[in-house]
Amino acid sequence: MSALPASIAGFTIIPVTYSSSSTHIIYARPHSGSKKTPKQTLPNGRTLFLVNVPPDTTERELILLFKHAGTVEKVVFDHDGVELPEAEESESESEGEEDAVVEDESQEQPHKKRKVSKDDTGPPKVSPLPRTPLRTLRKTGTCAHVIFLDSSSLERALTTPQKPRPWPRSPDEPSGLAHYMALYDSLRPPLDAVREHADTSMELYEYELARSKQNSSHRKGEAVVDEDGFTLVTRGGAYGKTLGGGVGVANKTFDGSSLNKHGRKKKEGKEKDAFYAFQKAEKQRKAIMDLKKNWEADKAKVEKLKESRRFKPY
Amino acid sequence: MTLNLKRKRGRETLTGQKKTVPIFIDADDDRDSSLGELEDVTGNRGGEDEMDNGEDEPWEGFGGEHSGGENDTPASADQAETHIGQKEKRRNPATGEELRVIKDATDLFRSSSFKLQIDALLPNVRPKSSRIPPLDRFLLALHTFLMSLPAIAPQHPLEGARTLLKTGIAVPYSMPLPTENTNWKVSFEKPTDVTLVGSWANKVSVKGKDGGKFGVDLAVEMPESLFQEKDYLNGRFFHKRAFYLASIAAAIQVKKSGLDADVFYESTSNDPRLTTLILRPRQGNSPHDFSKLNAQVRIIPVLPSPSPISLHRLSPSHSNIRTSAPDTDTHPPTPIYNTSFLLSITPKLDLLTTHTLKQNAPAFGDALTLLRVWANQRGYGEGERLCVKGFEGKGGWWAAIIALLVVGEEGEAGKKGKSRRPVGTGLSSYQMFRAALDFLAKHDFENEPLFLKTKTGHQFQPKEYVAHHEAVFVDANSMVNLLGGIPLCSLDMLKHDAKKTLELLDKSGTSWDPFSEVFLKEQRDLPARFDTIIRVDLSSTKPRTLSTHSVLDCGSHANALLAQLAATLRRGLGNRTKAVAILHRTSEVRSISQAHPSNPSIIQIGLILNPEHASRLVDQGPAADDPDSSHAEEFRDFWGEKAELRRFKDGRIIESVVWDVKTSDERAHVPSMIVQYLLGRHFHVPEDAVQTWQTAFDSTLRLPESVAMLHQGSASGSSGFKGAMMAFDQLVKGLKALDNELPLSLVNASPITEYLRYTSVFSPVALPPRLAASIPQCWSYFPAMEIILEFEKSGRWPDDLRAIQKIKLAFLERVASALMNSKEGLKATVVVGDGVVRSDIQDQSRLEIVTAEGWAFSARIWHDREATLLDRIIDNKPRMPITSQKPDEGKSRERQEALEARTLYTRRFIHAPRHHRAIANLCHRFSAYAGTVRLVKRWLASHWLLHVHVSEEVVEIICAAIFVGDGRIPEAGNVAEEKATVPGTKERGFALVVEFLKDWTWEERLFVPLYSNSENGSSGATATTGTKLGVWRVSTEEDKAGYVWTSGGPDIMAAHRVRAIAKATWNYLARMETGSLDGLFIHPTEDYDLIIQLKPAVLPRYFQNMAVDPVVWSQKGGYANIQPQSGELPPRPGFDPAQLLFNDLKRVYKDTLQFFFDPIGGDRIGAVWEPSVKQQRPFRVLGGFSGVPNSKVSTRTLHVAATKQGSHDQDHHKGKDKKGLVTLNENGVLSEIERLASGLAQSIKIQV
Repeated sequence: MSALPASIAGFTIIPVTYSSSSTHIIYARPHSGSKKTPKQTLPNGRTLFLVNVPPDTTERELILLFKHAGTVEKVVFDHDGVELPEAEESESESEGEEDAVVEDESQEQPHKKRKVSKDDTGPPKVSPLPRTPLRTLRKTGTCAHVIFLDSSSLERALTTPQKPRPWPRSPDEPSGLAHYMALYDSLRPPLDAVREHADTSMELYEYELARSKQNSSHRKGEAVVDEDGFTLVTRGGAYGKTLGGGVGVANKTFDGSSLNKHGRKKKEGKEKDAFYAFQKAEKQRKAIMDLKKNWEADKAKVEKLKESRRFKPY
Repeated sequence: MTLNLKRKRGRETLTGQKKTVPIFIDADDDRDSSLGELEDVTGNRGGEDEMDNGEDEPWEGFGGEHSGGENDTPASADQAETHIGQKEKRRNPATGEELRVIKDATDLFRSSSFKLQIDALLPNVRPKSSRIPPLDRFLLALHTFLMSLPAIAPQHPLEGARTLLKTGIAVPYSMPLPTENTNWKVSFEKPTDVTLVGSWANKVSVKGKDGGKFGVDLAVEMPESLFQEKDYLNGRFFHKRAFYLASIAAAIQVKKSGLDADVFYESTSNDPRLTTLILRPRQGNSPHDFSKLNAQVRIIPVLPSPSPISLHRLSPSHSNIRTSAPDTDTHPPTPIYNTSFLLSITPKLDLLTTHTLKQNAPAFGDALTLLRVWANQRGYGEGERLCVKGFEGKGGWWAAIIALLVVGEEGEAGKKGKSRRPVGTGLSSYQMFRAALDFLAKHDFENEPLFLKTKTGHQFQPKEYVAHHEAVFVDANSMVNLLGGIPLCSLDMLKHDAKKTLELLDKSGTSWDPFSEVFLKEQRDLPARFDTIIRVDLSSTKPRTLSTHSVLDCGSHANALLAQLAATLRRGLGNRTKAVAILHRTSEVRSISQAHPSNPSIIQIGLILNPEHASRLVDQGPAADDPDSSHAEEFRDFWGEKAELRRFKDGRIIESVVWDVKTSDERAHVPSMIVQYLLGRHFHVPEDAVQTWQTAFDSTLRLPESVAMLHQGSASGSSGFKGAMMAFDQLVKGLKALDNELPLSLVNASPITEYLRYTSVFSPVALPPRLAASIPQCWSYFPAMEIILEFEKSGRWPDDLRAIQKIKLAFLERVASALMNSKEGLKATVVVGDGVVRSDIQDQSRLEIVTAEGWAFSARIWHDREATLLDRIIDNKPRMPITSQKPDEGKSRERQEALEARTLYTRRFIHAPRHHRAIANLCHRFSAYAGTVRLVKRWLASHWLLHVHVSEEVVEIICAAIFVGDGRIPEAGNVAEEKATVPGTKERGFALVVEFLKDWTWEERLFVPLYSNSENGSSGATATTGTKLGVWRVSTEEDKAGYVWTSGGPDIMAAHRVRAIAKATWNYLARMETGSLDGLFIHPTEDYDLIIQLKPAVLPRYFQNMAVDPVVWSQKGGYANIQPQSGELPPRPGFDPAQLLFNDLKRVYKDTLQFFFDPIGGDRIGAVWEPSVKQQRPFRVLGGFSGVPNSKVSTRTLHVAATKQGSHDQDHHKGKDKKGLVTLNENGVLSEIERLASGLAQSIKIQV
């Protein structure tokens, strides 16, 4: 571990020591946001992009590791639902993710207005299940974003350290056997907490359902008209009224398949197979050809087996 | 019509002119040494005309007019084939000739490919005609040699023996041995005739097993002048024969004889009376060195044709041994002695009969060959491995079976029309073979004597045979009982094997080809063939009752002993067994200085059980009020002190034998207990000379003594599977009673766990709270048994996956509180997930219930709407024509999640309950099934493959394949239809599964008709799984694709491992000599790169470990810091940190390491680096890999160096070559693993 290069492929190398004999390498780079839309979640300039963080890393441990650089606002792990920039193979995925988020926001906007205007209750709060601090084990070689409070911290964090720092261990989250016991117990919360959580979650769901109904551009009983002014005919709900959003419609594939089946059956009924003499003859001829073909195939198969010396019983 | 070698000479010259080498023979010849190849080439040079070797077969005893007939058809077909192959392109229909061949093949054989395979097989078991000429030259030389032998003057038998001994040759006199005061003489004169007889002469030779040689039988006719009329008495004929044989041996052995052959004695069935002389060529350059033919010449001295000894003296009821016993008035008959005697008369007659038969029925030769190959594969005949007792040297018997089919029986005078009707001569070889099997499978040898059709009618009274032989099958000369000396139990075995093969042939499926199973596969491996194997050392036997007379009749002490042993066991086991086979090594050639054959001291007894009766505890004998008291006496004599008078419920008082059994495991041992007892009683075989393997197998499925005691003591009510099922029933009852308190009522509760279907390795245990506090941590595991709850349908479920999961939580909470209120001592908790899966659309929450008795259950709710909702996401079809089109790829992650959830849903809610029901059914239907599954699971687990690599369910299905076979399960009550292939004990089931896994090519998927007689399920909704890790395909009716239980593994690496381990296990099983199973369940760990040794004391499942060490829990205070802790903790059902750690490691290091682990109490985790992982690779952001940048500058790192320099100003190089190389950070990974396993791992061992 003597001569490590200072950086690789644009990433600064941050070695951390696990013990006297083993060192782990974290690769770091300033985060550069997507070219299209500036992101609020991962601000450019003060976000550090880390590759190959240890699999059992916790937020607290990363904060401790970069304490020397400055205060960390928050840590985002890649598997926790943030897009993965610069990742060649996940390009498409990341874009989609972004769009989804954007859409969410755009949907949220009008709703907020409405809330301010007439409703003061707001969405019901979900009471969370009790949580004990636990480690989340991620796949090895995973990435993380560390967002500093201050952009100057980024500089400091990226300077190659003189000698590898030891990997901080946060004592709050246990590991090993203790971790598994804690996990086991935390998965079995007290019943009232479960009830609380389930009830509030359902309230939220009801609320959102109601909201999306209000919000939907399609209303019950109203026809759906597309851009070109065509009225779309959809299968109706109860009493022939189409519902806005939600209800599934028997789709084309379903209709098509049933039709096809039906159609073929009818056809079969109409035509007779051996009506003309030539049909009969051809049928016989075909049977003989098939017979021969099978024979040939069998022969070839046995011949092949023969080559692999299968027929020596002992 | 006698055949002699003189005629042959003329043919010899003919051959010299017209050298013919059939081409088809050379293709399949791997016995050739390079030298042989060379010679073949030179031989080939002369061969101009193809094929048609029939006309000039010089070795053919009976003129060659018919020889090679069986080769004609394929040959001509061959030619036609190639011819037509060209035409095929022009799409012409087949010619008439060819059509005929095809039609024949399909109509007269099982299928056309079956016929082609038979055609391919036959040349491989027949002598190659190119190698025959040297043999002919040898026979010629031998003939001249024998004919020119000088006579030896009559002398006293012992005197003669002494003279011969000087030249190193012992005379194989049989018992009763001649004494000094015998008053007859032995002498030698040149034979009157030398004839080729037997299968060689008829061209129906079949290669022997284990490289056995073709036997060329030479009948040497002893001149009449040597014999006197009374020679049938007291073995005098046999003594004279022995001297004659020894004299020939002496003459041949002399260097001058110029025969270049080694001479040996061989005694068929170790009977000294049937000693023959074996000549084997010495390797050399002499023109008559026929060693390449792989044949040996056997010299059989026979009596001249009108026998000098009157035949009527040799009928089965005659007594020809007058022992010096006091009761000289009654001489018991000597049927076996007489049979042996008659065997010296029949060879030439047999030759004629067989020849006629061969001419009448064209397919006779092929059918006989098939039958003998079939028999050889199953150990009915000679071989180096264990063979079934009694079938040695019975070549004639196989021919006689087919003869019986073709020519029929000799009717008895009284009974007309009852005799078997012949099948006709025009059958194909396959049809004859099948008819022969059918005969063997159906015939009742014990009660129905058979007499082959003769020309002249019965020689002896049929009644005499029936009275003095166990089974009767008299040959066409109406002299020899071919079944003399074959114990009945061996015939049972033959019957069983024939049945088994018929079952295979009757299997209807076209996809499966039974050919190799019937003819090509070695079937002599004991573990897969017999339900119970017992190894007996006979060296210290002292038979209780074995008369000198029967010893003399059987020819040797050992033969008499085995005959009695067979009869005793057959009687003692009765209908518990379908067959008892006594297996031993067959006789081997011995040097001519050894007069008597050495007898095998170790035999194996194989039992095929009849599951219905095998484990019966009471054997009933005659009733106490039986008027004939001899019956009771006899019964008492047979069973000794075990026999006792018992009164039964229905009032009968009966002599009976009761077998004491303590556990259910031991019930399965009753048959071997009986064998052991009988051997001890009747033969004084000490207990340690009788070995079985059952106990050793049982112990792998049993908890250590101390643990089992504790659980048994604590369990209130019943324990084990039964207890678990009762607890389940009560729970369901309790749940149903909650109807009023729950919004929806419970419709169905289906178990989906191996613990509730008898197939878990260990029977489930309950852990009552009071016990839980006191046991050490390494015992604390008790399983949470999974069940599925189905509630009545309701429209009020939300139409959203996330909301459904939340509703489930609420539902479970209601159930939990209601249950706890209604049942005292019951604990219920809602488990919100498993801590790993984060998807919120997947079914996660479950209810954990611990009953007051300590049984743990884990219940999930099945809501069928989930499937529809998931499918919608997967199909990704717009539900509504939505105007604002969302980009497709935005859904990909959600879709992925949905796919996973759907797979899980299908497996958990659709397949698992069905699978559970089917398996539970099988467990009831086949008594050995559950045990088989448990053994196989234990075995796979102990080799670190179960659960993660090979799922439990797939093990169950594969085991089921052994039992259900083609799926035609007989109706439960109809035991008569019980198939012969179904194993009767778990040991055999295990061996069969291992054998299957050893040979299974996974590319051909396995189809198991698991559900055949259950309701016709909808063609199972097959979820489209994303990535298929597994390479196995095991399909059932419900799962056509065959991936439900194998999608997660085994991957190609694990599958190879399974195969390798199965191979090793199979070899181990096959040569298992002692009673221990060491090595069968001990996993070799040398191949792993890393071994993570866990601390046994903290593993809750450690008590289930294969090599469990009780010290771990008896060491009080050894782990002081842990025990008090475990005392405080509430019991954690299903808590297995080792498994959790293993899962995490596997997930975290998916692409770096492969992990292996024994889920059943394993205390080590093994890991192997992925093969590619140690190479350098370019740095990538999502490498999924912990790497270190390269620091060393190697020779080819010019390019890397450039990258390093460039990396400072990487912006310039960005587009180009910016990738550095990284290597695996091995140390770092190891440290991480150590950290993840802290508290659990003791050490990590790195192996190179």
